[in-house]
Amino acid sequence: MTLNNVVAITRRIIYQLIRDRRTMALIVFVPMVVMTLIRLSLPEGSTLDYVAPALLGTLALFFVFLLTGISFLRERSQGTMERLMASPVSRIDIVLGYLFGFSLFAVAQSLIILLFTIFVLQVQYQGALWQIFVFLIIITVMALNLGIFASTFARTEFQVVQFIPLVIIPQVLLGGVFWPVEQMPTYLQYIAKVLPLTYAVDGLKGIMLEGETLLGVGLDLGVLVAFAAALTVLGAVALHRRAAG
Amino acid sequence: MSRESAHDLAIEADNITFAYGNVKAVQDLKLQVPRGISFGLLGPNGAGKSTLIRLVVGLLKPQSGSLEVLGQRSPRMVARLIGYMPQLPALYGELSVVENVDFFARVYGISDRRQRAQQVEEAIRFVGLWERRKTPALKLSGGMKQRVSLACAIVHRPPLLLLDEPTVGLDPELRVTFWEHFRDLTKEGVTLVISSHTMDDAAHCDRLAFLRSGAVIAEGTPKELREATGRPDATLEDAFLYFVRGEVSPSDTQ
Repeated sequence: MTLNNVVAITRRIIYQLIRDRRTMALIVFVPMVVMTLIRLSLPEGSTLDYVAPALLGTLALFFVFLLTGISFLRERSQGTMERLMASPVSRIDIVLGYLFGFSLFAVAQSLIILLFTIFVLQVQYQGALWQIFVFLIIITVMALNLGIFASTFARTEFQVVQFIPLVIIPQVLLGGVFWPVEQMPTYLQYIAKVLPLTYAVDGLKGIMLEGETLLGVGLDLGVLVAFAAALTVLGAVALHRRAAG
Repeated sequence: MSRESAHDLAIEADNITFAYGNVKAVQDLKLQVPRGISFGLLGPNGAGKSTLIRLVVGLLKPQSGSLEVLGQRSPRMVARLIGYMPQLPALYGELSVVENVDFFARVYGISDRRQRAQQVEEAIRFVGLWERRKTPALKLSGGMKQRVSLACAIVHRPPLLLLDEPTVGLDPELRVTFWEHFRDLTKEGVTLVISSHTMDDAAHCDRLAFLRSGAVIAEGTPKELREATGRPDATLEDAFLYFVRGEVSPSDTQ
């Protein structure tokens, strides 16, 4: 790994995204619109308090996965990835460059969702705000790597979009977003245990509803970090296979 | 072609093979590219030209045989010394001309800011786009994008430059300009490997290899290849057809 290469790729991605004003606007406003719609759709007298942790985790996963998945694939389809792979940069430089470049926007997006949910939609929470944010950053980094990894298996943007029902929806259904994991049939609980969103939702609920600290949800945090690390390596391996194929 | 010492060769491929699944793209291919010349890889679509270039730049690994690039068994070891211009312009549309070229200067290891600025300017001036340096790549015409792509490939002053169909889609005037650029580069000692399926490009090269079904069917100077047909008025197209039908190399006929 070469720091200069990682910095060069990170810098380039930041420049590219900043120039694309429409995408920048969508990154900021779409999550706010979605959260507002969810709030407005709730029955009279109900609050977002209980569902907010699950929604924050799910939206972070969904938006970040989509942003990275499509951007990374576009780089392959327009030939820039092949050109980059022919240069002295290593695969891990590329994946890390992408990770850092997108992190800036993905983390900003997560912060916007969090602040909007808490201060505009008036969601009540127990734990410390900064700890919720740190946990969201970990979810975001994991989702970034998941997007990169998944996109290496797609050949077109249409195919990346098809990964949403494959990668995101099962996690939403089984990860404790709508109903507790413990209430599902045993075999589904086993499946839930290998899905990152399960740990994301569990950890956020722990902090926001039960007032836990980051240490208190250490297991969830650790599993998410492990997922992120494993996906970084898998992304680099899969990238080589796909760029060469 | 006589056997040259490894020191004089930019590329030496000995019986290399590469297949995409069951489709053999390169088969027992032998090739020697001397340093400091323009070397054309000529053949129809599917002849294995792009696969060969991708093998030489290290994007693919030969499944058998041996390949040496600039004296190294692994092209990745000399990636810094190779310039690669893929078939697609492969630029970042949102970034300006200068930002695109600067990015490739960075990833090819030119870390000194002043040195990088100088080489970026030199590369952009070389392709005649300095006046458009602030224009985003997506707003450029197809020919201009090709020129920026060339600037990205040469910004780190590589001694070996691989150009995959660089003149495709260019108008005749721009094609002439490109060949002027290529001649300037060989004058500076750069080895140029250019793939093409047009005989117009072939005529400009110092040496040529005709490829068909993943193998070299003939290799020599354009003059040698034309003369091998035995017809004084033969064109390179005639020569290509002659070798396709007979599959004998001029070196076999001498």
